[in-house]
Amino acid sequence: MSARNHAQWTAAPKLKAGEWVDSRIYSDQAIFEEELQKIWKRSWIPVCHESELKNAYDFRTMTIAREPVIVVRGNDMKVRAFLNVCPHRGNMIERRPSGSFKRGTPSGTPKHMTCMFHAWQFDMKGRCAYISRCEEGYQKRLRKEDVGLRKLNCEVYFGGFVWVCLDDDIDMTVEQWAAGALDVLSPSLNAEPLEIFHYHKAIIPCNYKLWHDTNCEFYHDYLHYHNRITGFNDAYFARKNSGFKNGHINVGSFEVQYDQYEGFESREALSFPHLPPNHWYMIDMFPGVNFNLRGSALRCDLMTPLAADKVMIEFRGLGLASDTPQQRRTRIDHHNSIWGPFGRNLHEDLLAVTAQGACMHQAAENRRILHGRHENQTIHDENGMRHYYEEWGRWLNRLPSDPDRAFADGAGGRAAVARDAERELALEEA
Amino acid sequence: MSVNYAETKEAVKSLIYQACLYQDDLNWDAWLKLCDADFQYRICAYSPEIQADMIYLSGGLEDMRSLTGMLSKHNSDHSPLRRHCVAYQVTVAEDGRSAESVSSVTVFQTQLDGINSHVDAGESRLFLVGRYHDKFSINGGDIKFTERTARLDTRRLDKGSHWPI
Ligand code: FES
Ligand SMILES: [Fe+2]
Repeated sequence: MSARNHAQWTAAPKLKAGEWVDSRIYSDQAIFEEELQKIWKRSWIPVCHESELKNAYDFRTMTIAREPVIVVRGNDMKVRAFLNVCPHRGNMIERRPSGSFKRGTPSGTPKHMTCMFHAWQFDMKGRCAYISRCEEGYQKRLRKEDVGLRKLNCEVYFGGFVWVCLDDDIDMTVEQWAAGALDVLSPSLNAEPLEIFHYHKAIIPCNYKLWHDTNCEFYHDYLHYHNRITGFNDAYFARKNSGFKNGHINVGSFEVQYDQYEGFESREALSFPHLPPNHWYMIDMFPGVNFNLRGSALRCDLMTPLAADKVMIEFRGLGLASDTPQQRRTRIDHHNSIWGPFGRNLHEDLLAVTAQGACMHQAAENRRILHGRHENQTIHDENGMRHYYEEWGRWLNRLPSDPDRAFADGAGGRAAVARDAERELALEEA
Repeated sequence: MSVNYAETKEAVKSLIYQACLYQDDLNWDAWLKLCDADFQYRICAYSPEIQADMIYLSGGLEDMRSLTGMLSKHNSDHSPLRRHCVAYQVTVAEDGRSAESVSSVTVFQTQLDGINSHVDAGESRLFLVGRYHDKFSINGGDIKFTERTARLDTRRLDKGSHWPI
């Protein structure tokens, strides 16, 4: 077929329902707002790693679906999460990205979270400990017992990641939420304490799902010289993509030939516990989290969707807490030579999704985005993305290939197939 | 042999600026020729998020040679970078055989192909700010970089870069 006219270009592709999506899911602000409410506020999100709050009274701040969140370590060493919002006049209580409440602040006493605005203070369990001039202003109408912080579900799980969920009614632990997707790496990550050594972030003008898709599909090895030269062999193409409940996937391992890339070395000497030398596992969790272990270094991506066409991605690198300084240096080098802001692969991935974003900005014309490769669920199969969008469709009750239609209509594929046929017919008639 | 500190300082400054010009022009071979055989390169930043010093990129002379030599095999943002650099402090060792310097550096990026080129190409944006901490060996008139640490203040590098700073 030659190049296509507009009708042909916008027609349903010759693939089955579920093998493509409508680009509106990457560009429509109304769908985006719905995703924040229905997905991001109801999912377990690994907001940071416990090594970012080593000591009692340490804290980290972040946002989930625009809601300010603070994670603190109590005197009992327990990690708890709260909304980082003052119950008085709604100020953000803590403005720093990280720190310790051990020392006092200009408006507050040590060992308390203090809202600088009118100096209300809270303890590490989220209880209000002090209201300035309380009796004078509130008499007996409002007491500090009435104005505790909003506590959030919080669990430390999977090698020490701190998971938070905004939904009080979530009926799953993180383990149940992961539904087995984390099992391939659990022995390696849980064997001994991990420690963060790298953090950087990127704000990219594209929808968050485009980044997640890129993490879920390996067909884009063609983007990365490094992957092709160190990867392509029979064992590589046999790597399995597996889907799990709740929209998660993982990708099986093989032995990477690092020495095939000039200037790179084997990672064997620094393999994570229980990991065969130079092996590489990848886990992608719904709705926008990635764990990526290349032999000696663990990477974790967390997406924070900012708008339909804007995402913040936080990149973390972790090693073993027991590393000697020399081992740590080598791990950092292994991690950043590929995945750092000046690494070989990350820059390429970010360039690609930026260019996708340029074609799928808000109100861009709808296009068909193909997720239709079948290769026996191995590395270049696109079943990972298909698995994700099936879950996405269920949560929003929208059909990814036609987001104005209910997912239920198209779930079995019958309605969507009928509609494809209708479209094709219309096209032929035209 | 007596050391002419003032002259050596000026020579060190010229070397720093020459390196910037070569790097701006992606003339990596010429840049690396200004470096000693045991040259160490590093891009560092401090993260207030994890309260740790980070190394974003590091390598010796040979590492930097292969890294720059492989660039053509990679997909990169080719938007030119321009370094604006001022050597604030140059200290020449008493024996005149080494020197150290601290420079302030600002890097601007003029958009080319990293985004929608039709709209954005030609626009210059601030890419990063930071400092160069450099070390030099001096053998008579021959001055070479032995160390370059680009210490960045900017930590939101977004798409990042394949090029040494
Ligand atoms: S807004 Fe926090 S004390 Fe008033
Ligand atoms: Fe990639």
